[in-house]
Amino acid sequence: MANVIEINNLTKNYGKNRGVIDVSLEVKEGDIFGFIGPNGAGKSTTIRSMLGFLKIDSGSIRLLGMDSVRDHEKILENVGYMPSEAWFYGSMKVTDVIRYAADVRGIDCSEEAARICERLKVNTDKRIKELSLGNRKKVSIVCAMQHKPKLFIFDEPTSGLDPLVQKSFFELINEYVDQGATCLLSTHVLSEVNKYCRSAAIMREGRLTMLESSDIDDDTFLSFYEDQEEA
Amino acid sequence: MRTIFCKEMKLNIKSLLIWSLTVGGLGLICVLMYQSMEGDMQEMADAFSNMGAFSDAFGMSTLSIATLAGFFATEVGTVHGLGSGMFAAVIAIAILSKEEEGHTGEFLFSLPVSRTKVIAAKGISVLIALVAFTVICGIMYLIGVAMLGETIPNEEFIRFMAGQLLMNIEVASVCFAISSISGKNRMGLGIGIVMVMYFYDVVGRVVPDLKDYLFIGPYSYANASEIFSGAETDGKAVAVGVIIAVVCVIYAFWEYNRRDLAG
Repeated sequence: MANVIEINNLTKNYGKNRGVIDVSLEVKEGDIFGFIGPNGAGKSTTIRSMLGFLKIDSGSIRLLGMDSVRDHEKILENVGYMPSEAWFYGSMKVTDVIRYAADVRGIDCSEEAARICERLKVNTDKRIKELSLGNRKKVSIVCAMQHKPKLFIFDEPTSGLDPLVQKSFFELINEYVDQGATCLLSTHVLSEVNKYCRSAAIMREGRLTMLESSDIDDDTFLSFYEDQEEA
Repeated sequence: MRTIFCKEMKLNIKSLLIWSLTVGGLGLICVLMYQSMEGDMQEMADAFSNMGAFSDAFGMSTLSIATLAGFFATEVGTVHGLGSGMFAAVIAIAILSKEEEGHTGEFLFSLPVSRTKVIAAKGISVLIALVAFTVICGIMYLIGVAMLGETIPNEEFIRFMAGQLLMNIEVASVCFAISSISGKNRMGLGIGIVMVMYFYDVVGRVVPDLKDYLFIGPYSYANASEIFSGAETDGKAVAVGVIIAVVCVIYAFWEYNRRDLAG
């Protein structure tokens, strides 16, 4: 299997504040990769560096076999990203936001968007400013999935979603992965890692450690967080 | 890029209409007031033209407000100069920073479009809004003049509106550069910059030592009183304005492309 994500010695600092230090990571095609760790450990920094929101200090990132800086636009054509907080333009209608994301991509995603909206029960007639966090997150899922990307990057996707929508969300991920997509899932929910992820890594204090298995027990999982607090 | 440009235009249209109809409407009212004041105007014009520094500052020493052109230059010139400058500042200073302030940057920049294209689309949308603002206001002023059954010199009117548009572009460029640095809407700063530029021009026309340096400010080449009194446009002031605008736009591209985007 080819590497869909390949990060080598990534370091990113925010001035004097620590971001991530010497992170190396490989995610194989078809994987659902669990990315866990306490708040402020550097998970979002790694993800935001991958997507080009942050300018990295050193190291390299290759996504889908392409360089994250040089082939930035080309990579994003095949990436579906869902941020931890789903914010959109408040005055726009849900349907307009979904179409806008497709239009910027220059493709017609209406059929797939309608299918996902139906599965997640998204009300497309409402304005964004009328939506709760959970409903905004559903819109974010549609925007991340409607173009059938090769790589999904989800940052705490299920916070704010009701259990039925969470179930539908993971069913959708599994369907796309079965069709050849790859998924990086940043989460604090142990059951999601155990149930859906095929491999995993933990991020602590800016450093990444690969886990031997994604099957983690409660005590081990909590120890990742306790260590951070003690430190 | 076209999609982002269209979305920006759609989001800005309400603001454009409110500002242009307000400033244009105020200008229109000013023009219409000329008729009701015309009878008493000669006496007032004589008084205003002999008020020393005050007359110089507002151009009433070179232009009689008893004529429509003079009245237009002093009254509408001030209203449009300040109103259009503030609109330019308000629209440009938020155009880039609003993505970070509203946390929409992560959505926009996860789409396959480079930062350069986003900046270009947003910059063009500001430029089009400024042109539309100038056209709407210009039409409203001409409607006012037509309602009075009077005329104002076409060449001077076009020079005035073009000068104001260039001034707006210069103000917007400065604010565009600020918007590229800041992750927050600095509307107060933008309006403050316009006020400083305007009062620099007013004070510069009163204080003899500052007159030689008026060309630095954008209001120097857009001054209605000078234009309607037939004075030549100061090429040096226009050149400085164009250079400032170009440098600020280039800086905005450079800065926004190189820095981290807040989540």
